[in-house]
Amino acid sequence: MTCGLEAAGLVRDFGGVRAVDGVSFQLQPGELLAVFGPNGAGKTTLLRMLAGVMRPTAGHVRVAGEAADVAGREWRHRVGIVSHQSLLYGQLTMAENLFFYGRLFGLTDLKTRIPERLAEVGLSDRAQTPVRDLSRGLKQRVALARALLHDPEVVLLDEPYTGLDPHASAVLREQLTLLKDGRRTVVLVTHNLKQGLELADLVAIQVQGRFASVANAADLDQAGVEAWYHATVEASP
Amino acid sequence: MRTYIGLVWAVARKDLLVEFRTFERLTSMGAFVVLIGVLFYFSMNTAVVRPQDIAAALIWMTIIFVGMLGMGGTFRLEEQDGALTGILQSPIPLDALYLGKVLSNFILLSVMVALILVVFTAFFRLQFSGNPYALFGVLACGVLGFVSLTTLFSAMTARSSMGESLLPVLIFPLLFPVIRFGTTATDRLFAARPFEEVRGDLSLLAAFAIIFTFACAWLFRFVIEE
Repeated sequence: MTCGLEAAGLVRDFGGVRAVDGVSFQLQPGELLAVFGPNGAGKTTLLRMLAGVMRPTAGHVRVAGEAADVAGREWRHRVGIVSHQSLLYGQLTMAENLFFYGRLFGLTDLKTRIPERLAEVGLSDRAQTPVRDLSRGLKQRVALARALLHDPEVVLLDEPYTGLDPHASAVLREQLTLLKDGRRTVVLVTHNLKQGLELADLVAIQVQGRFASVANAADLDQAGVEAWYHATVEASP
Repeated sequence: MRTYIGLVWAVARKDLLVEFRTFERLTSMGAFVVLIGVLFYFSMNTAVVRPQDIAAALIWMTIIFVGMLGMGGTFRLEEQDGALTGILQSPIPLDALYLGKVLSNFILLSVMVALILVVFTAFFRLQFSGNPYALFGVLACGVLGFVSLTTLFSAMTARSSMGESLLPVLIFPLLFPVIRFGTTATDRLFAARPFEEVRGDLSLLAAFAIIFTFACAWLFRFVIEE
């Protein structure tokens, strides 16, 4: 069976500093990997390599069996990314942002697709609102609609809950739960152990660029994940 | 090919949509053009210097300075809220992204060139009896050469701590052909010299514009990829 997402020996150096150090994993379609780790552990760098916006120093990424080379463009149709930044233009409306990104992905049915995606994130009635006028929570929902616009098989989530109030977090969590449709492969990078564990099938703790520990989410409960996290981080040199 | 042009236009359309909604760059560039016109008007002794004789230099210096002001922030829009990451994650070829940026900058600077001609004609009562098509060609090729270079270098300096202050230092030496052939050709056209005397400069200007555009489109990937 073809992996949804495969990382093999990923390394990224910045000058003399190794930000990601030999990360490898394989995820099947439908699986969600949550990556936890302290600040500076290299989580965002890992995600940027998986998204193809950063070239690995060594190692490779495969998306649905296809080599994800930074210079290659076609495999990017298979990947969507949600970041702690919205990746949207504040001066444009939600619909204009989605139209622009839709064009970049070569989509032709945007007149029907954009209203569908906005409806999925509960924002049908705000399509003509400029993004700068939205709250942080609404921006993240538009960002999710943008990431899913081209119906990617792999979704990468980089701290999507950052800056959200509890209600907005809960709404976004509901939206993210819908990603677990058995078809998509998802990688979630977060500091929030509780929210990560709720969604994850697999959990990894990244420390100093390495996956220091990996576990099945089903084997962990809320108290267990915190103890495991602290023990792993403290045990790392 | 149609798809590629569609991608170039999608980037340019987005930039123009933002600009014509906010007027951020157009306002600052337009105000700068008028200010330069006023400064030249009061600083020039028209009893000694005939503005008509130095029209080409006035026009081209203003194009360069106002272009530097406006084009330096080409990628500022993409730095807001990580939009550049969103674009880089999409399948758009990087040269199409670059050419889209060049196209939007070309349109914006062309609007400013029209304003420069109006302002300078009003202030200095410039007379033009040369070949208007040739003047259009000279200005269009010069502006294309200018924006192709500044767009590439603004991408380079966007993430530099020295940012836009570094841009003129890097770019002025490379702009020499544009300034040299642009001013010479414009000067001859304002002196109503025959087109044959301009053809050589215009050809060189066009060649530089095309070479700069293609070379910068190719180099852009090395600038923008991390």
